[in-house]
Amino acid sequence: MRDDPHVVALVTRASEGNQDAWNELVDRYGTLVYTICTRYRLNNHDIEDVGQNVWLLLVEQLGKLREPAALPGWLATTTARECLRVVTAASKAERLGTRLDDSVLFVDDAVIDEEILVAERNAALRVAFAELPPHCRRLLSMLVSDPPHSYAEIHGKLGIAVGSIGPQRARCLERLRRSDALAALGEGEEKINTRGGEPGA
Amino acid sequence: MRNWDDDRLLAALGQALKAREAVPSWFIQTGKSAYAWHDIDAELAQLTYDSDRDQHAVAVLRSETASIRALTFTSAHLSLELEVTGNSLLGQLLPPRAGELEIHTRAGGISTTEVDEIGCFSVDPIPDSPFRLRCRTADGTDVLTGWVTF
Repeated sequence: MRDDPHVVALVTRASEGNQDAWNELVDRYGTLVYTICTRYRLNNHDIEDVGQNVWLLLVEQLGKLREPAALPGWLATTTARECLRVVTAASKAERLGTRLDDSVLFVDDAVIDEEILVAERNAALRVAFAELPPHCRRLLSMLVSDPPHSYAEIHGKLGIAVGSIGPQRARCLERLRRSDALAALGEGEEKINTRGGEPGA
Repeated sequence: MRNWDDDRLLAALGQALKAREAVPSWFIQTGKSAYAWHDIDAELAQLTYDSDRDQHAVAVLRSETASIRALTFTSAHLSLELEVTGNSLLGQLLPPRAGELEIHTRAGGISTTEVDEIGCFSVDPIPDSPFRLRCRTADGTDVLTGWVTF
């Protein structure tokens, strides 16, 4: 996963001045930055502040990232640091009062590490999903919606015979499984599982 | 993930799509807009001193608090010393030299002010949202500070 050539290419192109590549990086990892902000329970104003700083720092660092593939880790660490800065400043101004407790100030490194792994996996899944044919995207969207749609509703909306929904679901998921995006993730995922199994890891 | 069964894969997909939906579009837009800074060909000056941060220990020792906020940004060729007293922001370039100072706000606004021959400048009014300063001197030095808020 750390060697995802697509991410390396995006970082390289963005550092060479390609706005589309930059936009794709933001689309891909914006969720990671945002999720970490919510871990620190920041309000929208502070989230915007942190977001601005993180992306601006990344713009400045683009050409200097020694290991472009380690971008998610860099983003997560930088976001956590910026969040801490905002929380500390807020605490100084006593705006947070008693709400500021240790659990906010010290978001565990393990939590951040987990967010990075989830973000990588989610990004790969979204890329793979976007590459599916429209009928698969429609069907899978309805299947994962909250609350879930019944087969009867799916039949009513998409016109697929109820008896075909199961087989089509299987075929669409198989396409997702075989996508390049998940293949790029594949190797890293094995490593995560091994590392996650170590005591104290 | 390739050996995950259908149910597990579908659940993971649901989670991935939901996580993305939870992110407000303004947040993503902010990130994309930040790229406007990519082409800036200035040398970045690092924050090397911040009275808020660095005087904390001293203030505790002396049991007094500093009433002046002072910042120093340093690059290889130029330092900018900033000081806020009351409603004005005063600055000094080191080594002293004349030039032009741009004040960039987050919203994209730019205003300019002159730096006199002994390297002094003032910013008035002080922007109430984060801003950064870009300083170009007559000898071609071009320096950009990080974001500051007062």
